Amino acid sequence: MVFRLFFGCGEGDDIAEPAISIRGLAYRYRGQEKPALDGVDLDVAEGEFVVVMGPSGAGKSTLCTTLNGLVPHFFRGRIDGEVEIRGRSTRDGKVGEFAREVGLVFQDFEAQLFSTNVALEVAFGPENFSVERGEMKRRVEGVLGRVRLEGFEGRQPATLSGGQKQRLAIASVLAIEPRILCLDEPTTDLDPVGKLGVFEIASELKERDDVTLIVVEHETEETLEADRIVILREGRVVTDRPAREVLRDVELLQESRIMPLGVARFFHEMGLWQGQLPLTPAEGLREFRQRGWQIDAGRHRELVAEDAEREEGYGEALIEVEGLSHRYPNGVVALEGVDLAVRRGEFLAVLGQNGSGKTTLVKHFNGLLEPTEGSVRVEGKTTTEQGIRTLGQTVGYVFQNPDHQIFSDTVSDEVAFGPKIRGLEEAEVEERVKEALAAVGLTGYEEEDPFGLTKGERQRVAVASVLAVRPEVLILDEPTTGLDYAEQRSMMDLVRRLNESGSTIIVVTHTMWVVAEYAHRAAVVRDGRVVLSGVVREVFAEEERLRDASLRPPHIVSLGNALGHTVLSVDEMLRVAGKGER
Amino acid sequence: MKEIFTMWRHTQMVVLVALTAAIYAATLIPTQFLPIIPGFTNIRPANVFPFVFGLLFGPAGAWGSAIGNLINDFFGTLGPGSIGGFIGNFFLGFLPYKMWGAFFRRGEDMEPNLSSGKKVVVFIAITVLASAVCAVWIAWLNDFLGLLPFAALASVITLNNLLAGVVLGPILLLVLYPRVKRWGLLWTEIMVPDEVPAAGAAFLGNVLVWAGGIGGLIVGLVLGLGFYDQGLAAAGFATGAAGLALGLIMIPFLALIVIGSLMLGGREQVEAAEEDAGHSRVR
Amino acid sequence: MDPFLYLDRDTFVHRLDPRTKMFLLVGAFVLAFLFLNPLYGLVVLAAVLAFGALARSLSNLGRIRFILVAIALVTTALWCIFASGETPLFLFVELEALLYGIGVALRISTTIIAGMIFLSTTRNEEITTGLVKLGIPYRFAFAVSTALRLVPAVATTGATIGQAQRSRGLDLDEGGVLERVRKRVPLLIPVFVSTIRSTNIFSMALESKGFGASPTRSYFLHLEMTRRDAIVLVVVALLLAVALYLRFAGYGGLEGVTR
Repeated sequence: MVFRLFFGCGEGDDIAEPAISIRGLAYRYRGQEKPALDGVDLDVAEGEFVVVMGPSGAGKSTLCTTLNGLVPHFFRGRIDGEVEIRGRSTRDGKVGEFAREVGLVFQDFEAQLFSTNVALEVAFGPENFSVERGEMKRRVEGVLGRVRLEGFEGRQPATLSGGQKQRLAIASVLAIEPRILCLDEPTTDLDPVGKLGVFEIASELKERDDVTLIVVEHETEETLEADRIVILREGRVVTDRPAREVLRDVELLQESRIMPLGVARFFHEMGLWQGQLPLTPAEGLREFRQRGWQIDAGRHRELVAEDAEREEGYGEALIEVEGLSHRYPNGVVALEGVDLAVRRGEFLAVLGQNGSGKTTLVKHFNGLLEPTEGSVRVEGKTTTEQGIRTLGQTVGYVFQNPDHQIFSDTVSDEVAFGPKIRGLEEAEVEERVKEALAAVGLTGYEEEDPFGLTKGERQRVAVASVLAVRPEVLILDEPTTGLDYAEQRSMMDLVRRLNESGSTIIVVTHTMWVVAEYAHRAAVVRDGRVVLSGVVREVFAEEERLRDASLRPPHIVSLGNALGHTVLSVDEMLRVAGKGER
Repeated sequence: MKEIFTMWRHTQMVVLVALTAAIYAATLIPTQFLPIIPGFTNIRPANVFPFVFGLLFGPAGAWGSAIGNLINDFFGTLGPGSIGGFIGNFFLGFLPYKMWGAFFRRGEDMEPNLSSGKKVVVFIAITVLASAVCAVWIAWLNDFLGLLPFAALASVITLNNLLAGVVLGPILLLVLYPRVKRWGLLWTEIMVPDEVPAAGAAFLGNVLVWAGGIGGLIVGLVLGLGFYDQGLAAAGFATGAAGLALGLIMIPFLALIVIGSLMLGGREQVEAAEEDAGHSRVR
Repeated sequence: MDPFLYLDRDTFVHRLDPRTKMFLLVGAFVLAFLFLNPLYGLVVLAAVLAFGALARSLSNLGRIRFILVAIALVTTALWCIFASGETPLFLFVELEALLYGIGVALRISTTIIAGMIFLSTTRNEEITTGLVKLGIPYRFAFAVSTALRLVPAVATTGATIGQAQRSRGLDLDEGGVLERVRKRVPLLIPVFVSTIRSTNIFSMALESKGFGASPTRSYFLHLEMTRRDAIVLVVVALLLAVALYLRFAGYGGLEGVTR
């Protein structure tokens, strides 16, 4: 091995001793009624790859922070039980000492990059441990190689794409050469191909260097490589079994508010017993064929016909984009020659990898950005002549990070801001607030402090505050990021209801199942151009071209594609698949 | 005053220094184009931050204000006068939390919010004092270096600070306090009692700082405005000798400010926060 | 917009050790403060400008020209009022006071331009590493460099939030100055709140990377005093010595002014 990641491993180590041993761990944050962890027992062997899943608030992140002693040393709070890292209790040492053993990469990768260039970022950890300079250079080089960031040494971290930043965050922890690596939702904000990159690196680390891996993840499709899956709920371990076994337990996952694998769920609904369930599209295809099942072409035509019928129901074009190009003041061309039309009543998904230009595109729709070339018309008039304030009446925009728009002390003040500033009368404002809060399911939250709500709830407040202006078009930028499966579902169900009651919806996202199950039409943006657009079913049939744009359809769609008929959800698959009796 | 050194042990305090400095600088820079005395001072609504951050983040707010102001100088006006700005802004963030404790008895509710009339009055009083102290330091150094006359600079800085603090301070404090508390970021929650000196003679310290700050400001203004004609400077000195005289006269006042600060405590506030929390940390 | 003054150019000044550049900066300050006589002040200013040209950094002058001009005018005017001399010129202004004002204006302009050249040729991390090497505690230097790095980030967050609020109907460019400031308040609150909120995660990430794990620390950036630095240091030291000698020999002062 040219690159040796660890010191001192090998001879004499007690094989039986687990890397991590947690006994009866309970933890309550200061000022909180409910414990974040409530009696966790967990052993992780050297070299194991464990995935931790569970809904928001289950204690996953808290569990991660117990591994290097941040709990109990960093936070004040009440701890019971014991966490031992390779035989040593985390109570007996400082966080810094355990940081050497356990590398912790946090969910929010923006907040963990400190330096002005990539090489310095990676060197930061070793510097803290007084690693000698020559050795440090060697590590920087080696680690950047493994996360595929060679040649980026001099770049500012802020100029990297989301996926690159996340890989840099991992590299900066790897440079300390920990034997245990814990990644807290490492892929939340990444496009599908970026996600794959992170997991490829993780698998390599495990294979080549025998790193013990603990990964918190909420997307099941990413967990196939794991040895074990641990499910947490309300601070307790409810499941701790081999990964493939857990993934086949469709009912358990659903109970735990985790999205089951599409392929597994399909075969489960078709009546296969647990032990037989295929997990991946490839396995599913084999199983499907072996059993001699068929896709009923007639029923599939019905689906296509329904799509067509829906298409005809749309109204006139609300937003018309013609030859749109946008160049940022620093000269970067973000969009080039985009043509697109959005009709009244549509539900459009704008897809693309991190940095493809999809957000830049939709920011033209409400006048936040003005075209460098070409034009954007909303209800027939160009955005330039209408101005952002007028456009705000027609086109509402919900920003990706709800914390960027919330400032009021109470939820109702927040929602009332838009109508008030437009000079509506008090009674009218009140009416609007009530209506908007009801629409997002937050009736009764009027007097709450928005900053005390969960991320999912804050996201809803943000939507309500835009709805209160009653716009015709609602643009949502990454509305599901950072939410768990159940929250994502309820968010998107809300959006669907708004669409059904007449709003035109534009969602910017790279969460592919959301597009498949909710959107009507999709536009794929790549390097500033719309490379693919149309009815979602047609777009998702083009797997190759999606992959070129760093996108990957959900498993169930891939299975359908492999069978020659594009379906968009497990339910559709169930509708068209026949057991072949007929 | 040892807490301004011991605070560096806490990672959270180090980060708070950086974040408050960044916020202060980022809001100062755009107002560089609203000058009052161009190049020296401008309309500074951002001056509300030292008061609020000082009260909430303690010594981290003081260092953050000093560094934030220095960074603001980095964007155009870095010079020897920057030293005065550093010290002045340090005191602008330092006095609020330091003086706060001197106004409350042990056992009295001394959380830095504006939940009572007394607290509002104390906040305004401290704002007045810190504004003056900051102005005295900056104007003294600039006058001493012969850059700008004391009177012009001191009056403008005092008013500028005062306005931002009194008008915007309560608004910002009301918004930030509950959240900062929820996130466990009050300095009294991060630091432990041992790291903060107990009040030696809080009352006396309180009086001395007032005497130094307000006294210094008044004496400086009187000297600067009234007596320069009379050739207060000893005739034998070369140019700038008058400035030197004013510079020397101000030194006792500056000393009063520092000595008074040394007598003020802070540990009571940390202990009160600890009792409030009900149980001590595992550390 | 990049708010920083640093210019990524390859000049001999850029290649100097940051400690050398700090010494140069202090040297420029001393030179500027030695002479009050505007003629001598002009010479110092010219020297600093020449050095700036050598560092190819004078393009940044454009960015601070407004401040420079304003400072020059205001300082001159103020000292005309506050200082007095012997030779009446017009109204209540005396010649000495005017000269004094000009001298001070030159002094301030020179130091600001010297500061600008320093910042145009030295990266943030060089400044902080240089400070550490000069004995400033690491944690303090870390806070300074992090703050420097975060200023544009805070500004960017502010811009994003501005967009969010504008699309909700907030018109920032309408009304008088007070009105505009008032409108910006709701816009700014999320910036502060979300920035401060990140304190804990930021601190945890730091400790997880071993921040404070050991009392000593090594540095990846390597600073080295080269022969070039030595030559520059010697030249500047000589220059200072000559200037000091001249000043104490009675040159470059300004007679007959009182403040």
